Amino acid sequence: MNLGKKDEDSDAGLFFHIDKSTVLQEARAFNETPINPRKCRLILTKIVYLLYQSEVFHTQEATETFFSITKLFQSQDTPLRQMVYLLIKELSTVAEDVIMVTSSLMRDMNAKSDVIYRANAIRALAKITDSSMLQAIERFIKQAIVDKNPSVSSAALVSSLHLFGANKDVVRRWANEVQESINSKGPITQYHALGLMYQIRQHDRMAVIKLVQNYSRGSLRSPLAYCMLIRYACKIMEDEEPGSRSLYDLLEGWLRHKHDMVVYEAARAICDLRDVTSKELFPAVSALQLMLVNHKPTLRFAAIRTLSKLAMTHPAAVFPCNLDMENLITDPNRSIATFAITTLLKTGNEASVDRLMKQITGFMNEISDEFKIIVIDAIRSLCLKFPAKQSLMLNFLSNVLRDEGGYEYKRAIVDAILDIIYHIPESKEFALSHLCEFIEDCEFNKLAVRILHLLGREGPKTSKPSKYIRYIYNRVILENATVRAAAVSALARFAVHLPELRDRVKVLLTRCLDDNEDEVRDRAVMYLRIIDDEDLCKRYIADETTYSWPSLERKLVEYVNDEAAHSSAFDISTTPVITAAQERAERARVATAAAELAVPTLRSTQGGPTPSAPSSTPAARGAVPSAAGDAQAGYAAAMEKIPELAGLGSLFKSSKPVELTESETEYVVSCVKHVFSEHLVFQFDCRNTLNDSLLENVNVVMKLETSEDDDATALVQDKAIPIQRLIYDIPGTAYVVYSRPGGVCPTATFSNALRFIVKDCDPSTGEPDSEEGYEDEYLLEDLDLVTADYMLPSYIVDFKRTWEELGEATEVTETYALTNVASIKAAVQNLLQLLGMHPCDGSDMVKDKATTHTLLLSGVYVGGTKVVCRCRMVLGDDGVTLEVTARSPDQDVGRRVVDAVC
Amino acid sequence: MGFWTAFLTTLGIVRRRVSILILGLDNSGKTTIIAHFIRASSVPAAPSPTSPPPIVPTVGFSLEKFDYENLNFTVFDMSGQGRYRELWKHYYDDTDGLVWVLDAGDKERMAVVREELWSVLSHKALQQKKIPIVFFANKMDLEGSLTPQECIAALGLEEIRDRNWNIVASSAVNGEGLNRGLEWLAGQLKER
Ligand SMILES: Nc1nc2c(ncn2[C@@H]2O[C@H](COP(=O)(O)OP(=O)(O)OP(=O)(O)O)[C@@H](O)[C@H]2O)c(=O)[nH]1
Ligand SMILES: [Mg+2]
Repeated sequence: MNLGKKDEDSDAGLFFHIDKSTVLQEARAFNETPINPRKCRLILTKIVYLLYQSEVFHTQEATETFFSITKLFQSQDTPLRQMVYLLIKELSTVAEDVIMVTSSLMRDMNAKSDVIYRANAIRALAKITDSSMLQAIERFIKQAIVDKNPSVSSAALVSSLHLFGANKDVVRRWANEVQESINSKGPITQYHALGLMYQIRQHDRMAVIKLVQNYSRGSLRSPLAYCMLIRYACKIMEDEEPGSRSLYDLLEGWLRHKHDMVVYEAARAICDLRDVTSKELFPAVSALQLMLVNHKPTLRFAAIRTLSKLAMTHPAAVFPCNLDMENLITDPNRSIATFAITTLLKTGNEASVDRLMKQITGFMNEISDEFKIIVIDAIRSLCLKFPAKQSLMLNFLSNVLRDEGGYEYKRAIVDAILDIIYHIPESKEFALSHLCEFIEDCEFNKLAVRILHLLGREGPKTSKPSKYIRYIYNRVILENATVRAAAVSALARFAVHLPELRDRVKVLLTRCLDDNEDEVRDRAVMYLRIIDDEDLCKRYIADETTYSWPSLERKLVEYVNDEAAHSSAFDISTTPVITAAQERAERARVATAAAELAVPTLRSTQGGPTPSAPSSTPAARGAVPSAAGDAQAGYAAAMEKIPELAGLGSLFKSSKPVELTESETEYVVSCVKHVFSEHLVFQFDCRNTLNDSLLENVNVVMKLETSEDDDATALVQDKAIPIQRLIYDIPGTAYVVYSRPGGVCPTATFSNALRFIVKDCDPSTGEPDSEEGYEDEYLLEDLDLVTADYMLPSYIVDFKRTWEELGEATEVTETYALTNVASIKAAVQNLLQLLGMHPCDGSDMVKDKATTHTLLLSGVYVGGTKVVCRCRMVLGDDGVTLEVTARSPDQDVGRRVVDAVC
Repeated sequence: MGFWTAFLTTLGIVRRRVSILILGLDNSGKTTIIAHFIRASSVPAAPSPTSPPPIVPTVGFSLEKFDYENLNFTVFDMSGQGRYRELWKHYYDDTDGLVWVLDAGDKERMAVVREELWSVLSHKALQQKKIPIVFFANKMDLEGSLTPQECIAALGLEEIRDRNWNIVASSAVNGEGLNRGLEWLAGQLKER
């Protein structure tokens, strides 16, 4: 079609000037007789073009257009008919009464077998049909599923897949036909049939296993179908206990399939198995290794990408591929080369690092910034792994720092260097001198400012501080105001920390008093003023602590929004102060969380050729938080809106929701425990699953049942906030508030019951049958208040250092015999739950058959007390023996942690 | 129509196209009547190996073509179910003639037919063009079905004064009366 060719030249070509109203005018041609197919096709194309440009068609316009299009059924022109189907599908969601064309489409789908548009007709029919019409066309779809023509059969199968979502029971009746078409001659038809079969059977585990096993024997011709089988097999194994991998042998068998696609899918599936062992990995890695030398770039890319991912968790398993990967560094496809390099950096040993680095150097100029950043990140982790290589790495990093590159790239390099300085203190002076050189010629203010700040902090502690002063002062002379101001601050730090240099720095600062930018001048004035006063210096310069930025931000927003508060100044004293190290750790945590989110999980593609039906809406508020902190912010915002709860001050911690009912009961209730500085708030999220009843005035009656904790008696119930009306399936929230005078934090058990007035109502309207209701009560499960509820997990960079700093003097220790715990893994899981602390140094990862293990934990107890904890465990014949040792500035807190375990 | 086509048409070499609309309540026999004319006009030499698809209630509409008396008919076979009667109006504009099929055995619904008929005839698109209309008093083979005279009375047809109309008793199952009705319509259409 020459129309398409013209299109390629200009952007929108023929359609550049069209607008909706003109096109709709032109559409009158559809009513003319005889029909001019060429002209009509062009007009239809224009309408589709407008629709694809997101032009809005109002219902009436769409309906009128639709009805004039129906007249085009008069023409037998095949391309025109196909355009008509396309338009029907596009308009089916906007226009009214689209089922008007049902009979016409059924006629087309049953046309003589040499008509090529039968498949198109089926797809359009499925699109316009609704559940009420499905019965009428059922017979024809069943027939089409087993049609001899594979494209007709495929169209029927794919349409059925779409219909399945809303008409599960009807489509299930077609299982026999679907089964038959799995053996169709057309490979794609096999694939579609298998996909539909799986949808029909997916909740019947045994049936899926049989499906996989039956078709694994090689009767299928479609490689895509085998890929689906592999995914189904993985799904089955996902629910199995690790160790019993019933379908692993099938996966392994597919590694020898004649289609590369199947081999790759199987290999990738094995790499993705949960807790995969090196024995299981071996054949998969070998298969991927073969792909690395394949002549097709797509295969090489797929293989190296999968290996690269695997290398993050199982570097040793990927190690045998090192030689092949090294050859890929020179691959003409630079994406492959980048993955090869970064994978090698993960799997390589110390000896190979030098050689690799040399190769990378040659290679950096050929790839884009985006890939360069990947390489830089890999080098950064490598450097941390092999500290002995740091000078080599730093040399490399400082070299590339001088190369051309955008901000993100340069920032990645600077980040990497800063990271290395932080983790390998010996590298500091060497790295600083490189950074000094970099700022001599740095076009990015942000980076220059960060480096100057670092020089100010670290420079004074080096062996020859004076040499940095020159670099810094050069900035004052040569740079713009932002950088000059940062340089002034850095200089001041040298003066504070090094009395012997103070006078010289003062001279330099004095010169800055003439600067033409007031920020620079102001800083110089301030520093000159305080430099000789030890107390002032401590307060303004040497102080390494900072405010917790997220809570400062939240408090400021609260303040700005609260008109009444404006009469007095913002009170910063309530904002938590944290150390520089904590601030850094928090930033690192956010960065990792973001990185993890950015990597889409491969698992999400499993399950079938079409995305599965939308999942039901989460019942409880904040049920799918991306991180615990986000959920807590959501809760805080919700409570802020309730007058009775608004004045409770800042929220320390919110627990995860605890289920207080079975999931299939009349009322579904879960509880979130919130700890405020002087209060406890219990948030009960309730759902009424009975469509014929309406609950009013729903109260939660909470009673303190038992506690071994003397402090529990201090708890006093303050108020209870009921749910006014709990309508079928619409969640509601009730609150109960306890005050904890003096900040007591007892552990305790509460009994809970719902008390409410029930009214029977009409299921369809939700209107109560009568105004009269009766009172009723519904018992809930008991709720425990535990140590973890008062504990915030807190990331610390160096467990050992903190542990030693706190010292033995503060230590509390206890040994327990856990007789009912069968493995170290289970013990670790229990401890994490009981204590609610952050596992450090990856100590929550337990080897499969470990018999001994040490879990390191850190946290902040309510009130802001830091606590770290070491749990050593040994697996014996009669369970796990556990020694818990806690250190904290407040021994009471340590005691609470240790006691929480029993 | 170009001069050449017009010339050929007069000679009867090229058939003139006409477009008609076939209306009536559901189950009255519209689709069965059309099927009869299609069967009659297709070349009998190649009887299709498979039997024609069974007649099922029409959903929406179906477009059929057949030749009759030197005319090439394009027929919009509309569904008579209540839900679709509202939608007939989309097809009034370019129709040359109307066929109205009534189930003469269904006396209970004559009142419904009357109401629908008059609402169609009073639609403004049909008010302007005085196209002819033929009524089939269908299912005359059934015991006790109404005669055309009775139908005229039941539907008040004598009040149609602004257009030509005719009524014939027919049976779609044995073909009786169908030709007479369509012949009359073809004659009307040729005159125009
Ligand atoms: N006895 C008898 N039965 C008939 C006659 N004409 C049609 N039928 C039957 O009546 C039923 C309905 O016929 P259709 O042609 O589907 O009716 P329709 O008017 O197209 O119905 P819709 O498409 O729903 O509007 C079928 O079972 C026909 O076999 C007739 O003249 N005599
Ligand atoms: Mg019909």
